[in-house]
Amino acid sequence: MVVVTRRLFQTPWEFRESALFTAVALFFGFAVQYAASGQGVTLPHLPFNAVALALFAAVVLGIGLACRNNQQVKWLGGIPLGLCLIFAIALLSLIGGIVPQTEAAPGSLTVRLGLNRIFSSWPFALAILLFLGNLGLSLSWRLVPFKLKNLQFILFHAGFWIALSCAIFGSPDLQRFVLPIEKGKASNLGYTMESETPQQLPFSVFLHDFSLEEYPPQLLLFDGQSGKIFEELSKATILVRKGITASWSGLDVQVLDFIPYGLPGKEGIPYPADRTAGIPFAKIRIISANKAPREEWITTGSPMIDTRDAQAGSLSLGIRPGTPKAFRSTVTVHDENGHQSKATLEVNHPVDFQGWKFYQMGYDQKAGRWSQVSVIEVIRDPWLPAVYLGFFMIMAGNLLFFWNGIKRTEGAS
Amino acid sequence: MTVNFHTAAIVAIACWALGSLLSVLARRTPALKLPALVLSFGGSLVMVGFIAFYWSLLDRPPLRTLGETRLWYAALIPLVGFLVEYRWKITWLKYYCMALAAFFLGINLLHPEVFDKTLMPALQSPWFIPHVIVYLVGYVLLAASSVTALHNVSLQLRHKGDDTGESVSHYLALLGFVFLSFGLIFGALWAKEAWGHYWTWDPKETWAFLSWLAYLGYLHAWRYKIDRTKLQWYLALSFVVLLVCWFGVNYLPSAQNSVHTYSQS
Ligand code: HEM
Repeated sequence: MVVVTRRLFQTPWEFRESALFTAVALFFGFAVQYAASGQGVTLPHLPFNAVALALFAAVVLGIGLACRNNQQVKWLGGIPLGLCLIFAIALLSLIGGIVPQTEAAPGSLTVRLGLNRIFSSWPFALAILLFLGNLGLSLSWRLVPFKLKNLQFILFHAGFWIALSCAIFGSPDLQRFVLPIEKGKASNLGYTMESETPQQLPFSVFLHDFSLEEYPPQLLLFDGQSGKIFEELSKATILVRKGITASWSGLDVQVLDFIPYGLPGKEGIPYPADRTAGIPFAKIRIISANKAPREEWITTGSPMIDTRDAQAGSLSLGIRPGTPKAFRSTVTVHDENGHQSKATLEVNHPVDFQGWKFYQMGYDQKAGRWSQVSVIEVIRDPWLPAVYLGFFMIMAGNLLFFWNGIKRTEGAS
Repeated sequence: MTVNFHTAAIVAIACWALGSLLSVLARRTPALKLPALVLSFGGSLVMVGFIAFYWSLLDRPPLRTLGETRLWYAALIPLVGFLVEYRWKITWLKYYCMALAAFFLGINLLHPEVFDKTLMPALQSPWFIPHVIVYLVGYVLLAASSVTALHNVSLQLRHKGDDTGESVSHYLALLGFVFLSFGLIFGALWAKEAWGHYWTWDPKETWAFLSWLAYLGYLHAWRYKIDRTKLQWYLALSFVVLLVCWFGVNYLPSAQNSVHTYSQS
């Protein structure tokens, strides 16, 4: 149990001092934020941020090792302060998890206190800095002298220290641009979220081809006037396939035939065509309560071909293009130094080129499969390897922890 | 399809109910032990079978909607209960676990799923399955840890608390934390491939971070001189943060522009 007879600031310091310290730090952070009229923290770019981080690490390690017997330094690197800072960071993240992190009315208290930009606010920066200091001190004592039994501790704490510090100090060097490119053309103009004028990039991207695969079209029953869609009895989304059936109250529909890529033919009967020109057609049989069954061809339509729906009483039955399954762009990238590379970009499969990562981002959604434009995102993050090093150290610590955790309880029982 | 789920769910719930009943009776009549075990396990096996069947039917892992993740919970939570019984000879946890699993299936029975075969391109990633499974296992362990902690609290109130109960809740929380950390990092590595950056303080990410912090705090408090009986309260309540992260995020004002909210239902 904690000894409760100790007075505030009587050594050794513990939770009360830590809580007080953390509260003052948060208050101070919010005060600075308010005084700066909501202006967030701006960090310098490479190499200055790297130098600042190295200095900070050196100072923390230096203090930790030089003053390891000082009571106050011990407290600064101790668990009580760590817990309070974890609580502070959790509190700030909680604000960030509740208050929408978007533009808010200028001059409002939310903006002045930075609540809508909590993760680049002064209180958050201060809490993270103190946290890194606290964690760094506790780390210094386990690093020197090095003992193998501290390996798990070191992997966890150093991994987290590296990942967090590099993610935060390196954030100014993260560059992301969006490039819309037309088929058969090249572009070197990148847009950012912040500005409408594009920037010249050090490379240009030529779009050879863009292609999109869709899931099968969906069969829908809707009110042609209001556009209201009626749920099928099983509440399922009906993906069109030959042979499937669907029911609404008073109405049964069977898909007799399905042509994924077809073109309209004589007397409304479609014929199969090639992938690039063809569109989905379905032959459906409609059986409603007191009418003779009817059969009809319907189609999703395309920018060139009209949509065709079937009538079912006052309602309409139609098929609509399925959601995108995959889309990809074939591009060639050139840079100023004559490097060149041809690649296929796809969602989840970014491609590396000279320190940049290329992502398939989007396309002209109105045109769907016929889009003549591909939207590509290019991202550069020179700090990524350092952050990943931290991640892998934490995961290695995790594996050890898993193993030791099991062994420890076995020893205890 | 819905019919199949009905049957599977009802069979599973019946197995757990009968299994629980028999294992209560088995205290008097040891011969009932084996059938009780077989039935309780059978319930989970039915769910595992259903998930496998459903997976092949959908052509994608059923891990996308909340309703689908509930299927996994229902299959996995009782297994944690059986494991704890086997390892620490603590029998009561499995009853909670089976009841919880039946409860999850009950929600699905009351709200039939929207069957949707499609999977958006960003989710078609090799990271998808490890990320979600690691998280599911983590949540299951932490749910069990909270239930154990709650049980410890109620024992303490009746002055019957003991160290074994506390070490079970601690061990489950510790394992859960390991899985949570893996889930968080897998998620970050995946986000880099799919969305371009490993961390963007999206509401879902923020809440995942918060739940991780809650357990980080717990582990350090446990290491420090904090009264471990009091920490049982903390553990019991930490799960609330996880629950918000799991399905509460959809209802928060900050979620309007989240890219990772689960499909509703
Ligand atoms: C706020 C700064 C932190 C301080 C001062 C701190 C300090 C400590 C200390 C002194 C221990 C006890 C080690 C032992 O007895 O061997 C410990 C354990 C541990 N720490 Fe930290 N830590 C901090 C942050 C973190 C972070 C960010 C992580 C996660 C990446 C972490 C993960 C762990 C784990 C997993 C344990 C082992 C717990 C156990 O064995 O029960 N710590 N920490």
